[in-house]
Amino acid sequence: MTKSLYTFKENLAKKGVFLCFSGPISHDLMVEMGDVLKLKMQLQEENISTILKVFSLLIEQTQNIMFYSAETIPEPENANNKLHLGIITVSYFNNSYFVQGGNKVKTSDVSRLEEKLSKLQKMSKEEIKEYYRAQRRLTSPKTSKGAGLGFIEVARKSSKPIEYHFKKIDDQFSFFSLKSTI
Amino acid sequence: MKNLVIEPTKYTPGINFLFDERVLEISGESYPENTAEFYSPVLKWITEFLKINESKTITVNIVIQYFNSSSSKIFMDLFDLLNDKSHEGLNIIVNWNYLEEDDNMLEYGEEFQEDVDNLKFNLVPRKSI
Amino acid sequence: MDDSLFRLKQSYDEKGIFFSLSGPISQDLIVEIGDILKHKMKLEEASNSTILKVFSLLIEQSQNIIHYSVEKIQTQEKLNKELHFGIITVGFDGGHYYVIAGNLIDNKDIHRLDEKLNKIADMDNDQLKAYYKSERKKESDQQSKGAGLGFIEIARKACQPLEYNFEKIDSDHSYFTLKTVI
Repeated sequence: MTKSLYTFKENLAKKGVFLCFSGPISHDLMVEMGDVLKLKMQLQEENISTILKVFSLLIEQTQNIMFYSAETIPEPENANNKLHLGIITVSYFNNSYFVQGGNKVKTSDVSRLEEKLSKLQKMSKEEIKEYYRAQRRLTSPKTSKGAGLGFIEVARKSSKPIEYHFKKIDDQFSFFSLKSTI
Repeated sequence: MKNLVIEPTKYTPGINFLFDERVLEISGESYPENTAEFYSPVLKWITEFLKINESKTITVNIVIQYFNSSSSKIFMDLFDLLNDKSHEGLNIIVNWNYLEEDDNMLEYGEEFQEDVDNLKFNLVPRKSI
Repeated sequence: MDDSLFRLKQSYDEKGIFFSLSGPISQDLIVEIGDILKHKMKLEEASNSTILKVFSLLIEQSQNIIHYSVEKIQTQEKLNKELHFGIITVGFDGGHYYVIAGNLIDNKDIHRLDEKLNKIADMDNDQLKAYYKSERKKESDQQSKGAGLGFIEIARKACQPLEYNFEKIDSDHSYFTLKTVI
């Protein structure tokens, strides 16, 4: 493992991945990742508009993992709540930034998710905005922590149509990946 | 009514609601873990506040650098509340402040502006937030 | 979108890695990982002693990256703002927890590091304790920020001799990997 760490780092570097986290994600951890991302981009004198876009996609996609990942461990203060596991990467390649998030989902949820995502993938920017505004009026603030707007927000902020992938692990679980572009 | 003052954190905005002046300010960043929980006292205060009927102008200043999608829903609810009240004749002004170079925030502001048919909704570009 | 994120997750799972951070390493970020790590280990019924050791190795090895990684960004005007890059991973394999850290170093530092690590590689706990005390009394090395003692501390907490590797990248730099097993 000690010898292969450099190979691993090189593989990430080849794809322009400059931030990669895998493990259980707490809210505080996400906040610090966001901070470190902003600082990195500021130090590299990236323009503020781009920084905010990449930051917001990092937060949105990480919060999606935190709400929906099927791989969990119980939370410290409250065993009824869970810490969710996932992977999140931010990369810079060919003049674009990419935010990718991956997590386990129940195989039984795959077709529902796929339906939502393929719909968003086919929409134009205007259609996504309209859909966003319509959905925003529907969801109740009391029920969901996440308001169900997460995917639409990601599709909206992405400068290209979102990309996604489902990989079946077994009958119970599949792995879901989502990619946005800035 | 007492003022509502909540200190900002890294991911929740500062709330500064001044009753006598009728000035309500929400500033900072908004991406809490549980959005409904954070904003519940905020919306409660505003609902009570709006029950008081009189002619003083109400000014709402939104000075947010970033908000996540669930906060977006809360803001919509907030503007709806204000918009409904404005139909009763109350003068309510919302100032949506945004960083000049942030086209995203401008866009969100424009959309809220379009969604409220009676509220005075101003888009205010700023050099820094 | 391909399944590369899934394959990454798979390779982590295969190696027993449950935390991996690659990119800018900040103190605040490590603190949050540390919190989750402690909690996870409690759930796995690790002894308090083991939890403390793994936690402190996470901190020690991360701080080594923060202080010594040659891969960094800083701006001229705000020299107090710096970001250092590296990789830190925590895993569980064959009944033992382990921490692996990797970062870029200057080739001119290899000899010094190699010497230090080699010296402590064969020491037992008593020897390490004695060596630690004697090193601490010596004149403090301005450059070291404590790393001289750092490696000894790390060796004392590990249950096996430290594993380390220098992978040459080019004429100026190499990649330094250090693995500790608890």
